[in-house]
Amino acid sequence: MYKWSDEQVMLREAVRRFIEAEIVPHVDELEHGDLAPYDLLRKFFSTFGMDFMARDRFKRAIEKEKAIASGELPAEASTEEAEAEAMPTGDIMRDPNAVAFTMIPIIELCRHCPGMVTAMGVSMGLTGAAVMSKGTTAQKERWGLDLLTLEKIGAWAITEPNSGSDAFGSMQSTARRDGDEYILNGSKTFITNGPYADTIVFICKLDEGNPPAERKVLQFVLDKGMPGLEQSKPLRKMGLHSSPTGELFLSDVRVGKDRLLGGTEDQPAREASKDTFSMERTGVAAMALGIVERCLELCVDYAKNRVQFGQPIGEFQLIQLKLAKMEVARMNLQNMVFRFIETTASGESLTLAEASAMKLYSAQAAVEVALEAVQLFGGNGYMAEFRVEQLARDAKVLQIYAGTDEIQVSQIARSLLA
Amino acid sequence: MNVVVCVKQIPDPADPGALDPDTKTLKRDTKLILDESDSYGVEMALQLVDAAGGGEVTLVSMAPNNEVGGIRTALAMGAAKAILVSDDALQGSDALGTAKVLAAAIGRAEGTDLVITGTESTDGYTGTVPQQVAELLGLPSITFANHIEIGDGKAAVHRQTEHGYDECEVPLPAVVSVTAGVVEPRYPSFKGIMAAKSKPVDELGIADLGIDAAQVGWAGAGQEIVEIEPEPEREAGEIVEDEGDAHERIVAFLDELKVL
Repeated sequence: MYKWSDEQVMLREAVRRFIEAEIVPHVDELEHGDLAPYDLLRKFFSTFGMDFMARDRFKRAIEKEKAIASGELPAEASTEEAEAEAMPTGDIMRDPNAVAFTMIPIIELCRHCPGMVTAMGVSMGLTGAAVMSKGTTAQKERWGLDLLTLEKIGAWAITEPNSGSDAFGSMQSTARRDGDEYILNGSKTFITNGPYADTIVFICKLDEGNPPAERKVLQFVLDKGMPGLEQSKPLRKMGLHSSPTGELFLSDVRVGKDRLLGGTEDQPAREASKDTFSMERTGVAAMALGIVERCLELCVDYAKNRVQFGQPIGEFQLIQLKLAKMEVARMNLQNMVFRFIETTASGESLTLAEASAMKLYSAQAAVEVALEAVQLFGGNGYMAEFRVEQLARDAKVLQIYAGTDEIQVSQIARSLLA
Repeated sequence: MNVVVCVKQIPDPADPGALDPDTKTLKRDTKLILDESDSYGVEMALQLVDAAGGGEVTLVSMAPNNEVGGIRTALAMGAAKAILVSDDALQGSDALGTAKVLAAAIGRAEGTDLVITGTESTDGYTGTVPQQVAELLGLPSITFANHIEIGDGKAAVHRQTEHGYDECEVPLPAVVSVTAGVVEPRYPSFKGIMAAKSKPVDELGIADLGIDAAQVGWAGAGQEIVEIEPEPEREAGEIVEDEGDAHERIVAFLDELKVL
């Protein structure tokens, strides 16, 4: 794959048209007001039939899963296959167009509003995926579909005030058995969608009186409004304002086993979370591509039209150098996205180290390009009106969330030295 | 309810290319897109078929080099199939030549209840093709429709006028041209885009339609493009210093334009 296909271009144009008509007029409210992105995202979903497709895939996946459970279908028709089928990329993953169709909305939204991708990705991609990949059939029916259609907003709660990069090692949130039930306690922070989430996947350790390092990691599904669960107001952030971020406080939240994801304490939760990390990281490349594409477009236009010393600033070699470096980054990012599409369509998946390498480069490229865009625009670049300052603030988070640059480096090095 | 929609594929108005000095026509060697003014007709047709509870929308288009870019967009919106006429002999066709080809192609679609067109194309602007198609097909025609309702073998149409609309009725089958902006053309859904590439496009030449090459293209054109020249530069406006009579000058100016 060296360029977008005709169908992919058609989708890109349609999505771009929708975003410019329906989302761009609200960017200021999303950025500087208190507008939450969910209704706009739902409109985006329904306009392009993504909710309908999610329902359809979900129905087929659950039917298949039940048929396997009842013995109507042989167990070889693996449950993993059924789980994958329910996801947005699902049954059509072997088609490059279908894989590209999951990337294009990310790229296009990030040209204007990277935070919306984070809000959507965490709700559907992380929380929805966690339920669909590890939940029981009953849990999938109870929470999965609403998350995949964005009917309900999801949050995936792993980070804590004292556990960031060392997510599992320093985790202090606990679950204690109490008869047939569990009592959950703990604080989570930097939780995307936390303030508004209807459904929360809460990750904690089972406290059996054993040392924390030996404790099992469990995931529970919580609903908004449960006694003992408090969701904070949105936190003020440097950027990504269109993605509400908050804290969660759990104080003796009592849950039944029906909320234990997978229905058993013997789920490999650490590994499951690592799969999630890998998915998040490849998504960052598409996000970076959108940011870089937009910065480059704005900069080329500005360089042609901004006149200083009697000539367009694009005539100056120092400006040309900035533009050329941006184009190199854009090409690299696009090639990475193409590689991901091809790899996935061929039925393979990237290793965690590959995903980390992709994320490390992408995040750094997005920040570098967006900051250079601010520089190229000079004083105007520092002003909100010219948009590049927002993209620069938004880009910075790519180096921090979904694993910091430093974590990516260690992941890549560990793989090389193994 | 089967509706045929005539759609034109045109150079992207955002990047329209140039006029060919040899043929004195617009160069059409770039990728062509669906004329936006036809997207309203496609939407109207899809809504009518939905309201009828059955049937399908067939697209008819004439374009060089078997171009299907614009057709695929309309198929992605929900049209079921398309007939595309592409033939070197069609280069230079005037409005009547185009109407002959479209009428012949529409004749290939079976069980047509209604033919919908735009009022005029964005790149040609003759605005005469719909009526010519109707005449060639021997069908009644209503132009400038902004609302269509189907019932009892008739189409009830609101025909846009300068001050409102006329209520008209026409027996089916008929040819109706719809004005731009009367419906909101849908975005193609993800599923629609995926499905569009496998929907049938019947590609025909003029021989397939029984059209003599002498009737169309440069050979059959009843018009000749004598000269093309760039649009004149916009002239500087007149600056009026207000010496107490500026309002009178404004009134006189508007009066001259006959807008008062």
